[in-house]
Amino acid sequence: MIENIAVAYPTDPLAIAGLWTALFLMLAIYSYPLWKENPVYRFAEHIFVATALAIGIVVTLTSLKNTAITPLMGGNYLMIVPILLGFCMYFLLIPKYRWGSRYPIAILVGSSLGLGIASNPLPSIVSQIISTVTPPKAGTAIWAMFPGSPTGDWFSFAFVAIGCVCATMYFLLTYEHTGPIKPVTIAGRYFIMLALGAYFGNTVLFRFSMLAERGAYILKVLGLIPL
Amino acid sequence: MSGQDIWDKLQNVDRRVFYWILFIGLTVPFLTPIGLPISVTPSTQAYFDGLKTIEKGEVVVLSINSGVSAWGDCLPAMVTSVHKVYDQGGKLIVWSIGYNDVDITWRKIQEKLPDVFSKWKEGENYVYFGYCPPQETNVALLATNIRAVYTQDVRGVKTGDIPMMKDINGANKIKFVLSSDTGDAQMYYIRQWKNGQVNYEKTGKPPLIAEMGIAMNKSGDMVYFLSGDEFGLVGGSRGAAELEALTGYKGDATTTMDSISVSHVLLVLAIILANIAMVATRGQKK
Repeated sequence: MIENIAVAYPTDPLAIAGLWTALFLMLAIYSYPLWKENPVYRFAEHIFVATALAIGIVVTLTSLKNTAITPLMGGNYLMIVPILLGFCMYFLLIPKYRWGSRYPIAILVGSSLGLGIASNPLPSIVSQIISTVTPPKAGTAIWAMFPGSPTGDWFSFAFVAIGCVCATMYFLLTYEHTGPIKPVTIAGRYFIMLALGAYFGNTVLFRFSMLAERGAYILKVLGLIPL
Repeated sequence: MSGQDIWDKLQNVDRRVFYWILFIGLTVPFLTPIGLPISVTPSTQAYFDGLKTIEKGEVVVLSINSGVSAWGDCLPAMVTSVHKVYDQGGKLIVWSIGYNDVDITWRKIQEKLPDVFSKWKEGENYVYFGYCPPQETNVALLATNIRAVYTQDVRGVKTGDIPMMKDINGANKIKFVLSSDTGDAQMYYIRQWKNGQVNYEKTGKPPLIAEMGIAMNKSGDMVYFLSGDEFGLVGGSRGAAELEALTGYKGDATTTMDSISVSHVLLVLAIILANIAMVATRGQKK
C-alpha cells in the first residue's frame, strides 16, 4: 500500500504570497541562463545575497549566545576565553594588529589537526585497505553487479584490486613509465578516467535533480501537482 | 541546404535553446508520470534494513548537513527517514553541523509530515537543536557532552530540562546518526562517533552512521559503505526514490524520478548528436 505524503495547498493568504514570491524570485534568477543578464535577475540576486547574509548573521549570533554568552552569564567564566579568541579573529581587518588573529587560527587549526590525525587513519586508510584486500566469502556469485544484487561479488573484488594497483602505479612518478610497467600505468589512467566519469555522471544527476525539483515547484505553485 | 550545413548549425545552436528544451522536458513528466520501475540498490536496502531495527524508545540523531539548495536530492530521504523513525516508535534528535538555513529545512520536513508531527510531542518524542558551527571539534564534543554544545533547544528550553534529554547527554544513548550531507560532515561522525570511544549502551559498540548524501558524492561515499563505516547509504534523489519504494511512502523522490530519467535521455541524445556533428564536420574544418 503506497501512502502519498503530499501536502495540501495553503489557504493562508500570507503563505500563498510566499509561494508566489519565491516563484517570481526563482524565475528571475533563471532568466539569466534562459535569456540574458537583466535588472530583474540582478534584483533577485541581491535579494538572495542579502537574505542569506542576514540569516547567517542571526543564526551565528544566536549560536554564540546559546553556546557562550548564556553560560558566561550563568557563572561559567571560562567562556570568556573562546569569546575573546573569537574577537581576536577581527584583528585580521587591522593590519597593525593582524598578529592577534594568529592565536585563534592556531588553536582552530591545531585542534582540528589533532582530532584528524588521531581519528583519520582508521576509517580512511586502515578500513579501506582491509575492505580492498578482503575477498568475498565462499559461495559468493562471480558476477552480481546488477541493481538489487548483493555487493561483494568476485568480479567487483578483482576489479577493485586491479584498479587500485594500476591507479597507484600511475602516480609513481619517481621513475619513467616505460618497459613492463607501461601497460600497467596506461590501465591505471583508464581506471582513473572511469572513476572520474562516474563522479561526473553523479554530478549531472545531482544538478538535474535540483533542476527537476525547481521545475516541480513551478507546477506546485500553479496548483498543477500537489505540494 | 547541404548536410554539412545542418551539422554546422547543430553545433552552433544557442545553449539557451537546449536549456529551454531541458527545462520543459523536466517538467512534463510531473504532469504525465511515466511510472518507470525503480530497482533498489544494496546501499539503500542496507539503510532501510537498519531503520527497521529501531526499537520503541530508541534514539536516533538526524544531522541535517545540507542546505535548502540541495532539497531536490536530500529532502525526500530525510522526510522518509523521519517517517520511518516515527513508525518504528523511535525518538529523534535533530541538529545541523554548519548549515545556517537548517531551520527552513526542518520546517519543511514538518510540513511534509503533518500526520507525524500532529502526534509527536516536541521535547518528548523529538528535540530540535538547530545550528552548530561546522567544526569537527563540535561533533567530537557532542559524542560525550551534548549540553556543552547545545545549552538549549531552539525554543529556548534548557537541554537538561527537556524531558527526552534528561538521560541523554552523549553517544552512549544514541543508536544511529542519519547524516544528510552535501559535504563531508558524515566523515566527522565516522571519525568521532563510529570510530570513537563512546559506545551505545545497548550494543556495547559505537553508534552506527548512515548517510543521505547528494548523488554527486555517492561514488566517494560508497567506499565508506563498503568498508562498513556506514551501515547504509542513500545516494541523492534516486536513492530517496528507492527508500520511498521500500517504505511505501510516495514522496517527492518517486515523482521526480521520471523527470530525471527523461532529462538523462535528453542529455544522452544531445551528446550523441553533438558527437555525430563533430565527426561529420571534421573533414570540413581540416
